[in-house]
Amino acid sequence: MINVVGANKSFGSNHVLKDVSIDFEKGKTNLIIGKSGSGKTVLLKSIVALYPLDSGSVFYGDTDITNLDSKKLKNLRKDIGMLFQGGALFDSKTVLENIMFPMDMFSQMSNKEKLKRAQFCLDRVNLVGADNLYPSEISGGMNKRVAIARAIALNPSFLFCDEPNSGLDPTTALLIDNLISEITKEYQITTIINTHDMNSVINIGDNVTFIDKGEVAWRGDKYNIFDSKNQHLQDFISPAMLIRSINR
Amino acid sequence: MTFFSEIGNYSVFLAKVFNKPERKRILFKEFKEELIKLGINSIPIVIIISLFIGAVITIQTAYNMKARLVPLYLIGYLVRESMILEFSSTIVSLILAGKIGSNIASEIGSMRISEQIDALEIMGVNSASYLALPKIIAAMVFNPILYVFSVFIGVIGGIMAGSLGGLISVTSFIEGLQFHVHLYYIAYSMIKTVFFGFIITSIAAFYGYNVSGGALNVGKASTKAVVNSSVAILIMNLILTQLILN
Ligand SMILES: Nc1ncnc2c1ncn2[C@@H]1O[C@H](COP(=O)(O)OP(=O)(O)OP(=O)(O)O)[C@@H](O)[C@H]1O
Ligand SMILES: [Mg+2]
Repeated sequence: MINVVGANKSFGSNHVLKDVSIDFEKGKTNLIIGKSGSGKTVLLKSIVALYPLDSGSVFYGDTDITNLDSKKLKNLRKDIGMLFQGGALFDSKTVLENIMFPMDMFSQMSNKEKLKRAQFCLDRVNLVGADNLYPSEISGGMNKRVAIARAIALNPSFLFCDEPNSGLDPTTALLIDNLISEITKEYQITTIINTHDMNSVINIGDNVTFIDKGEVAWRGDKYNIFDSKNQHLQDFISPAMLIRSINR
Repeated sequence: MTFFSEIGNYSVFLAKVFNKPERKRILFKEFKEELIKLGINSIPIVIIISLFIGAVITIQTAYNMKARLVPLYLIGYLVRESMILEFSSTIVSLILAGKIGSNIASEIGSMRISEQIDALEIMGVNSASYLALPKIIAAMVFNPILYVFSVFIGVIGGIMAGSLGGLISVTSFIEGLQFHVHLYYIAYSMIKTVFFGFIITSIAAFYGYNVSGGALNVGKASTKAVVNSSVAILIMNLILTQLILN
């Protein structure tokens, strides 16, 4: 359970997050949708305290991450898996080393156990035969999948994904969505996903928050999103309606 | 104003670097890799410049002595002293500041702009320490070794230039090398190189770590790292010379 309460964040005169309050449920896939530049990435980075908020709080259970000392923050973060929008793989390490890195750092596993776990994570993101390649040697979509494998390597309690399936083909995108949804339910993770893919919304949108220019403009789920009266949200989803109309 | 805030930020960075290392085993593994990257890979450039400088000092000294009634073996002595006192410590470090410093600043800087440092932080890793500490220790350990290398190669350059140019025989040169040996000077210079190793790596890591924006700023950080660590080396040289030799 994560609660964002009254979050404000500006960069200079650019007021990016405007009094944002959202509750993210455990064991559910919580989606944040919104147009490019609406502040999704800034919100996610504020939730993990990479960006300090100007005002407001982010509660993990009872703990407010915005005023933790560095030691407690480090400990909390060991429980977080995060997928960055750009992947952020370590480019001096191979695919396998990238996934084993969090285990090397924080687990007591033997080398054999680590390898096994890494292989398991790679299997789950459907990536085979890339173990010993470097990030610069694999495609953008493969990068993303490795990054997801790395994020789930240590069985995090909190999983944050910034556009997990942008740049992926529709089949792989679906696979990744389903993977995230599955592990969220299986391990009762609190999962937050930034996306502008309406397929993801329809597929795994347990909770959906629509952000418009840094403000929470609508909240609901995949069942009632098409009934929304919010004009901006309707504009946002209308391209998806286009596909539906063809289907009929 | 900006100078002092820069010093302040540098101190904060160092505090983070020396906070508490991540797992010792990992630190050691990274340290070994840095020994190769920063140390072993610097040997070729150290060999080349030391060889040439040793040769040039020999030729210049021989030229200056022609008209005077001083024994030729002093050429060997002077080459040795120049290498031991300033060249192999300070000048070599200035050159390493260019090579290693720009390398470190751009490596860490590009990790910053591609969010790799954020990724480390999110995992709960002390990124400053993880990235900078192995480099700092590796340079502090390996710089004195490069120093010794440089002195030897400089002397060999001198011997070669002296005998090939018919300026001084190998035996006289070696006689000069044995004239008035001060082990104390070698210790003084080795201590200097340890400090210089710290300066080069920590300043470069600092500028790389604090890059913001895009790739353009990585280049700027790398330039800043080289310029500022070179100046810091010169100032530190002055301070240490005052402290140790007085
Ligand atoms: N580090 C930063 N410094 C200054 N401004 C920033 C920074 N990061 C984001 N912004 C600004 O914040 C606003 C929101 O950006 P953000 O990256 O959160 O958008 P987004 O919703 O994630 O868009 P996209 O879907 O394209 O990823 C933009 O106007 C951007 O210019
Ligand atoms: Mg974004």
